[in-house]
Amino acid sequence: MSTAQILTAIQNSAVAHAVSKSNHMVAAGLQIVHVLGFILLLSSIVLISLRLLGLAFAKQPISKVGRDATRLIWIGLALTVTSGTLMFVSSPRLYYYNPAFELKMLLLVAAVLVQVLLLRRVSASDSPTPALVRTTVALSLASWFGVGLAGRIIGFI
Amino acid sequence: METLLALAERIETSSVGAAIAESRYAFPVIEGVHLIGLSISVGLIFLTDLRLMGVLFTHVPVRDVIHHLRAYVLVGFALVFISGGLLFWSEASTLIESPAFPFKMLFMVLAGINALYFELVLAKQDAVQENRPLLPRNVKLAGAASLFLWTLVIICGRLIPYLPRWT
Repeated sequence: MSTAQILTAIQNSAVAHAVSKSNHMVAAGLQIVHVLGFILLLSSIVLISLRLLGLAFAKQPISKVGRDATRLIWIGLALTVTSGTLMFVSSPRLYYYNPAFELKMLLLVAAVLVQVLLLRRVSASDSPTPALVRTTVALSLASWFGVGLAGRIIGFI
Repeated sequence: METLLALAERIETSSVGAAIAESRYAFPVIEGVHLIGLSISVGLIFLTDLRLMGVLFTHVPVRDVIHHLRAYVLVGFALVFISGGLLFWSEASTLIESPAFPFKMLFMVLAGINALYFELVLAKQDAVQENRPLLPRNVKLAGAASLFLWTLVIICGRLIPYLPRWT
């Protein structure tokens, strides 16, 4: 099966029909969940970054701030990925061939890898080395800012 | 309303407004900056609200949460207001004709009043100043009100392109 056929099959699936044939306010609702999830995700990353850099809550152990922040990061990611998947499924051909979408997905993979391999671990330890902290924070913020920017561009290309 | 619309049309047909609207990348990039700015400002306010409500970061004193995050909330708001101003410049008439836009502004003003009341009255209470573990009910309520109002601001903002115009 070619990519185009797969995309068409997704577009013709029951889930896709349920989303795309419904009232357009369902699409608006998905967009709202997507934005709220992203806000939760990014602000939690900003918060733990500030703690890691010693710019906020310096008296609190990193791991304690990290536990709550990491929980919120996963909740935010779950909200964005679920709403985003439903948005994609409803019109896969529109998204798949969009260069901004492709860039967003690459940056998303990078951002999730940074989260799983670096940020999650660094924010669970109480004395990470400054070099590791700076690298992790820079990579995490840059990749998520990129995801947000590329995401906003999708609708305009 | 007629004069308001005429004014809005003059704003968006001005050289800056038209340049943003016509540029292939300026408009979406400014939208992106708006999103990132509000993730920092409104996002950190959400986290502060959750702390006030006693849901998360309960080991961090409320005073620290407010003082340490203030500068970053303000930096985020600077990004949001500059990008928001530019977006308005380029599509003023679309915005004033959308019912979601005035509601967004209204909820922002209410959220601002709530924040000021918290800052000037509620945060001055001994329980907050002395970092007592048990916070008064009015502090929790102010946090919940802020969370609710800012969520409405985000919802209204995202609804702007989806709602039909006023007639």
